[in-house]
Amino acid sequence: MSGTHRIKVTVNGKLYEAEVESRRLLVDFLRHELMLYGTHAGCEQGACGACTVQFDGRAIKSCLMLAIQADGHEITTVEGLAKDGVLHDVQEAFRNAHGLQCGFCTPGFLMVAAALGEEKKVLKGDALRKELAGNLCRCTGYANIVTAVETYLEKVGGAAQ
Amino acid sequence: MNDKTMKTGKDKLIGVNMLRKEDERLLQGAGRFVDDCDDPRMVHLAIGRCPYPHARIKSIDVEAARAMPGVFAILTGADIRARTEPISVLRPLPGLLRHSYYAMAQDVARFEGEPVVAVAARDRYVAEDALEQIIIDYEPLPHVVDAERAAAADAPILHPELGTNVVVDNTLDAGDPTPLLEAADVVVEDRFQLGRVLGLPIETRGVVARYDRAAGMLDVVTSNQSPHLTRSQLAQSLRMPESQIRLSAGTIGGSFGNKLGLYPEEIIASLFAIDTGRPVKWIEDRMEHFRATVHGRESTHRIKIGASKDGTLIALDDDYFIDIGAYNGPWGPSVLASVTMPGPYNFSGFRARRRVVVTNKVPMGAYRGYGPPESNFVREVLIDRIARKLGMDPAELRKKNMVRKEQMPFTSKSGAIYDSGDYSRCLDLALDKLGYKEQRQRQAEARKQGRLVGIGMSCYVEHAGYSAASISRHTGRRFGTFESVTIRLDMSGQATVFTGIPNFGQSLETAFTQLAASGLGLSPSQVVVKPGDTLGTPQSVGAFGSRGTLAGAGAISKAAGEIRAKILRLAAHELRVSLESLDINDGIITSHEDKSIQLPVSEIAEMAILGMDLPQGDEPGLEATAYWTQPGPSFGFGAVVAMVEVDPKSGEFKLERFIVAHDCGTMLNPMLVEGQVAGGICQGLGATLMENIIYDPDSGQLVNGSMVDYMVMTAADMPKFELAHLESPSPVTPFGIKGVGESGVIGAAGAVANAVSDALSPYGIEINRIPILPETIWRALRAAEKKAA
Repeated sequence: MSGTHRIKVTVNGKLYEAEVESRRLLVDFLRHELMLYGTHAGCEQGACGACTVQFDGRAIKSCLMLAIQADGHEITTVEGLAKDGVLHDVQEAFRNAHGLQCGFCTPGFLMVAAALGEEKKVLKGDALRKELAGNLCRCTGYANIVTAVETYLEKVGGAAQ
Repeated sequence: MNDKTMKTGKDKLIGVNMLRKEDERLLQGAGRFVDDCDDPRMVHLAIGRCPYPHARIKSIDVEAARAMPGVFAILTGADIRARTEPISVLRPLPGLLRHSYYAMAQDVARFEGEPVVAVAARDRYVAEDALEQIIIDYEPLPHVVDAERAAAADAPILHPELGTNVVVDNTLDAGDPTPLLEAADVVVEDRFQLGRVLGLPIETRGVVARYDRAAGMLDVVTSNQSPHLTRSQLAQSLRMPESQIRLSAGTIGGSFGNKLGLYPEEIIASLFAIDTGRPVKWIEDRMEHFRATVHGRESTHRIKIGASKDGTLIALDDDYFIDIGAYNGPWGPSVLASVTMPGPYNFSGFRARRRVVVTNKVPMGAYRGYGPPESNFVREVLIDRIARKLGMDPAELRKKNMVRKEQMPFTSKSGAIYDSGDYSRCLDLALDKLGYKEQRQRQAEARKQGRLVGIGMSCYVEHAGYSAASISRHTGRRFGTFESVTIRLDMSGQATVFTGIPNFGQSLETAFTQLAASGLGLSPSQVVVKPGDTLGTPQSVGAFGSRGTLAGAGAISKAAGEIRAKILRLAAHELRVSLESLDINDGIITSHEDKSIQLPVSEIAEMAILGMDLPQGDEPGLEATAYWTQPGPSFGFGAVVAMVEVDPKSGEFKLERFIVAHDCGTMLNPMLVEGQVAGGICQGLGATLMENIIYDPDSGQLVNGSMVDYMVMTAADMPKFELAHLESPSPVTPFGIKGVGESGVIGAAGAVANAVSDALSPYGIEINRIPILPETIWRALRAAEKKAA
């Protein structure tokens, strides 16, 4: 048995205070305590990327962090992308490109792509594929995911170039 | 389809790239997968699995674990034996009709990962702590993890009651091909190995079970492709009536055949739910997934093909072993490798001998393709070797031997009936896309410079859906060949389609919406699809074997046609116009007799549901249930062309081009078709280039059973691919659609292997196994250089 800690963490703009077990994974905390089920656990080894969230704006794998490490930090999950029922540009791009099939890996890809978009990185082709290689998809064969992310990055980053 | 109801709809949504209905919620992380069901009273399971490949369980001491705070209950194999029946067999092996296994090992465990004990606790963390406190005394037994070794006389026998590890030995043939082969001008032969792989859906399996003691109802949510079949098996194992079990699939995060039929964990979770009265959750972790969910593909073939000097294929003789693992699992080994062995070609002689062997490995089951990728690889590689031997162009040799359009329907030497297609034209589409002639020239120039460039191709048939004839009763199979739906309109004019088929990424809701909206005359926004639940749906078989959409299409068209006819009847009665003058489009009823009529379907729905002012003979309600059985098999076709360049120093190779031209009949939604083909290509290339489950022969341990160790394609590994389509509508399916779920996976290995062998032909190196690893090529190159020196 492990002890517990009191943490304060901001998730999708909302401040949460919680008493968590020290061994509890961040992904489990987000899912089963905050009921943010969009962050998925696919391998718990940092290999599949389905649990990717933004941690202080950077895409990280929430199965490789403990919940207590999030104390004092800001997290964005897939639930934080759409605003007032309007899909985020990256979500729209995935829908239009048929960039998802079963949808289980999708939140992870969206969070990686959204983080790239916020950095105004206009990546394409092989360079983009390298950025996405930390996330696995078994349904799509990636081509439509790459198209979706290219379209999105061009839209948000084009003006900055 | 000669049924008239098929043609009454406007069909205007058939062939349309409609965006997916599923996406809005999936993109927002609101998919409602099985692990998204929570309940504060819930208990969580951890399952203790045998760490040995083969061991006698001498004792299990659970006392310390039972005493731990937060532990609710523990089950062992003895409880399972007392309270349940072995898992019923849906696809019996010939000669082994009733051989099955319990949800937990009984006295002897036969593979690393077999369940031995299970704990229900406050949370998964505590349940795993408790597992560590359970003391199990194992006596390791001799093991065997190689099929051909397991078939040898001195191998340890896994199931003593069977007396052998070769549990099936059956032959599909058109007479003895030996005389034909002896008379052939050229005979090529080799031993081929296909690696053991798995579907690896990103969502593992998972179960949530609840038991309502007062009602005696068990409610099971499980990540499963065949809810009705699985419920039937679960009822049998738990000795409960099916009517007291609701089994639903929720949303499934990928399945690829791996989530078919009943697994031990549904039984175990149900028992805990009954015992504790609490909701019970088990989510497979990824390490378990490699050891608890079926593997696929692994087989060894000794095959020969004979041809005459002019390139006419004469006979094929294959003798192969399938390594099924320790038990005949939920879906067992494929039979389609034998059935599809002749592929798209005319042969005079044919024989395929299949031996299914048990070994101390995870049981094998269905995995996308399920037979055809195996037969395609071995056949297509040998066909290229014949072309090389005869100095013929491999494309010409193939076209010379292909079943021609005018021969359709064509019965292959294995007994498969090809319904339609224009195979050589489809191959030409792929070759044209490559620019075959120019690329052959480029290749010749590259070779002059010492560069190893190769072009390879492979052609396949895709068996889509099951026909009654292929699942005859004497095989003992416990599933039908039909599909069914109930469609119900409410007073707002909205239609709900209830189906037992679950949604696991194949875009079921979108495809069924297109079909139902077309059939009913509604707009897509007026249709809701409720998939994957036994509650309130008619008996259903499930989604596998590229059958879901095409079998569902038959049922939807029938049910929608019936409802549409009733809407029109009621409308004619209400509007006092002739029935023939009426039409429905986007939910609006119009008449060509009276252009002022613009009646929303909702008004007729209200009239029907309230049962007011109905024409004589019509009862209230607007709903219909329909079943549909596929009258015959439908076969898709595909041609793959690959171009590679091999680095002679490292043995690495790059896929410069990868083209798939395929024909899945009428495309219901081309965007979805391309998505399915693309996904299949990625898995086909994975098995060709890197995927391979490795068991260490000495320890019998699964060596690479984690996502860190088992390599699959990432976005950076996946090469660009190009697609081309041909549409040869099937005469035996609604709208002429054929399945497409498995298409992309089938031809990848053969085309890449042929391209690599072509590139390496100056060295005489021939590929005969997948995955094709750079190391294998490097070793072969070094050996060839040594020989030359």
